[in-house]
Amino acid sequence: MEINFTEADIKFRDEVRAFLKDDYPAHVKAKQDSGEALTKEDMIDFHKAVSKKGWMGYNWPVEYGGTGWTSTQIYIFQTEFGLAGCPPLLAFGVSMVGPVIYTFGNEEQKKRFLPDILDFNTWWCQGYSEPGSGSDLASLKTKAVKDGDDYIINGSKTWTTLAQSADWIFCLVRTESGPIKQEGISFILVDMKTPGIEVKPIITIDGDHEVNSVFFTDVRVPAENLIGEEGKGWTYAKFLLAHERFGIAAVGGSKRSLKKLKEVVSELDNPELERKVTELEINLSSLEFTELRLLSALENGAHPGAESSILKIRGTEIQQRLTELFVEASGEYALIYPGPHGHGNNAKPAGPEHASQSLSKYLNMRKTSIYGGSNEIQKNIISKHVLGV
Amino acid sequence: MNLNYSDEQQMLRDQVQKFCESDYTFNKREEILKTDLGYDAELWKLFSELGWLSLPFSEENGGFGYGPIELSILFEEFGKVLIVEPFLSTVVLSGSILDKCDYDKKAELIENITSGKSHISVAYSEEGSKNDHTYSNTNISGSGSDLTLNGTKTLVLNGANASHLIVSAVMNDELCLAVIDSSADGVSLNSYTTIDNQSCAEITFENVSVDPSLIISKGNDAINLLDEAINLASLCVSAESIGCMTACYLKTVEYTKGREQFGQPISNFQVLQHKMVDMFIESEVCKSLMFKAMLECNSDSESKMKSVSALKAQIGISGKKVAQDAVQLHGGMGVSDEMSIGHYLKKLIAIDAMFGNSDFHFKKYSKL
Repeated sequence: MEINFTEADIKFRDEVRAFLKDDYPAHVKAKQDSGEALTKEDMIDFHKAVSKKGWMGYNWPVEYGGTGWTSTQIYIFQTEFGLAGCPPLLAFGVSMVGPVIYTFGNEEQKKRFLPDILDFNTWWCQGYSEPGSGSDLASLKTKAVKDGDDYIINGSKTWTTLAQSADWIFCLVRTESGPIKQEGISFILVDMKTPGIEVKPIITIDGDHEVNSVFFTDVRVPAENLIGEEGKGWTYAKFLLAHERFGIAAVGGSKRSLKKLKEVVSELDNPELERKVTELEINLSSLEFTELRLLSALENGAHPGAESSILKIRGTEIQQRLTELFVEASGEYALIYPGPHGHGNNAKPAGPEHASQSLSKYLNMRKTSIYGGSNEIQKNIISKHVLGV
Repeated sequence: MNLNYSDEQQMLRDQVQKFCESDYTFNKREEILKTDLGYDAELWKLFSELGWLSLPFSEENGGFGYGPIELSILFEEFGKVLIVEPFLSTVVLSGSILDKCDYDKKAELIENITSGKSHISVAYSEEGSKNDHTYSNTNISGSGSDLTLNGTKTLVLNGANASHLIVSAVMNDELCLAVIDSSADGVSLNSYTTIDNQSCAEITFENVSVDPSLIISKGNDAINLLDEAINLASLCVSAESIGCMTACYLKTVEYTKGREQFGQPISNFQVLQHKMVDMFIESEVCKSLMFKAMLECNSDSESKMKSVSALKAQIGISGKKVAQDAVQLHGGMGVSDEMSIGHYLKKLIAIDAMFGNSDFHFKKYSKL
């Protein structure tokens, strides 16, 4: 056993740190550090900077233009980005649809879509959830009917993150209805500019516009946009869900928040809150080493399976707890509603700096235990695949 | 970075596991507990033959020079079957002090331990010491070769079986450690059983004469030796608690699969499934803290005490939670003494109480 990274890994880490120091766009960093919301342009600037360095395909094999990094390098890359306070890299292109395209797509599709993902020329969004299909995703009803060389799509998707900024959406659609709901689902790529698509904002309790409803009315999509075989979409969807395990624990970002929280709390003379912070710090340390244990197993050729659901559950619990304690540290200033749709001129934030964003972050982070397979679904997975009940 | 056990470490685990599974059934344990000794002398001899009693001693002291990782393996496996043999007091606590101290005649005492011939216990705790082992009302007075020991030590693990005691006492305003023969005049002992079936003693020293050559350490050196021994012991019982937690969720899964109510195994009920998943997660994240702590102890890192405190604080909370849920999911059987599950709860409560409970270690952690 060896707790330290190898010299080569340390060198790699320094390279990542050098990028973050020199090439992390200053205007994005300034906003991230102050907690100000990023615009679409900010997000593009950030992603383009990563692309320019050749790191967008950080979890892709070399043959598709990826970095071909080891699991350890991916871990270091993600952790350092988190520690530096970067916004998370949007997963929809590089971590979700990209691997599905290079694994199940045809040559034409690979040529057409992959370079734009790596250069961040296309912004992807995910068309999975529907109003009636959340955790029970396979019950989805959005229909795609073959009509000549096209599919005609009717139905609606919901909770679509940043659909308002997206150029393309990858969708699970029903191409056939039978007794087994997992069968007859297909995976199709749709240009958001196609006539018949309507995006309507859903305002979340933090006052933000992050998610949307996307309605499809007679949307005509070329059949060449179908990935793999018709009716096999569920297999691809499951592959996609299993693809991105690391990073979900968000250890780097949480460590950064914790450091800030400790600074804030150290000024408050509040032993009860200090104790809660200590408990959280230990929880975060246990999460960090859980991730490292899985990483070690991976590097040793093992295939950790459902155990990694622990990372989702504990990672999101800790992210939420951090925001909860920031709210507690805000004291009475937790009273002020920070959302963009309130009354008043909001000329300048009331109370200490750390308080101004604490409640919106707290409200925003409620989503983490709901998305990506709710934490209850993760427990079902562990129960079935690890405990065997 | 590599958190995989080496082949040698894996072999040690296999050996301990094999013993625990085939030679240490719950019934066997019950039999052992009925004896006056409170542990099995034959098994203790076997531990010696297997080399386990020599594990942590450095090679120059006739040991294997193994460290915190190997001890954690041993204790994790011990925890799974609730071993009652006094490994912690004799090999870990006394062993750590003897291995590191400068005492010139320590070879004989170490040989007595590794051969399984006798037990040695550390008597450091006193009523009112609140886990501060520099606190001592016990004192050694006199001068030259005419020294006498007076005071009372409490919660001395395996004290009744120990041929010798390593006693902390104040002499000339500094803490020192003295080796005392338990059969010496003026040593009296009140022994009792702990909730987790260990043997424990309150020991009073009344004008016990002390041979100056048996004062094995003084001042900061004595405090450091105690610090190191207690830190290592805290790591060991934490590893033990992780073994207990693992056994708790595995036994509970097994029990709920076999127990039928409303015409089906109760393991079908999601509310029970999620509780068992929570038990699994608690024990896994505690194990992760154990990796951090044992690696830092192994490399003698500056932050090793802090990592052990993090671990000890967390296993106190998690252990209780896991074992309480295990008892709950066993229903009425969970509170029956003939089932093993309640004994895991008792063990985990005992471990929390030893060497400073969760609250103590949360405070210690935040100060370090």
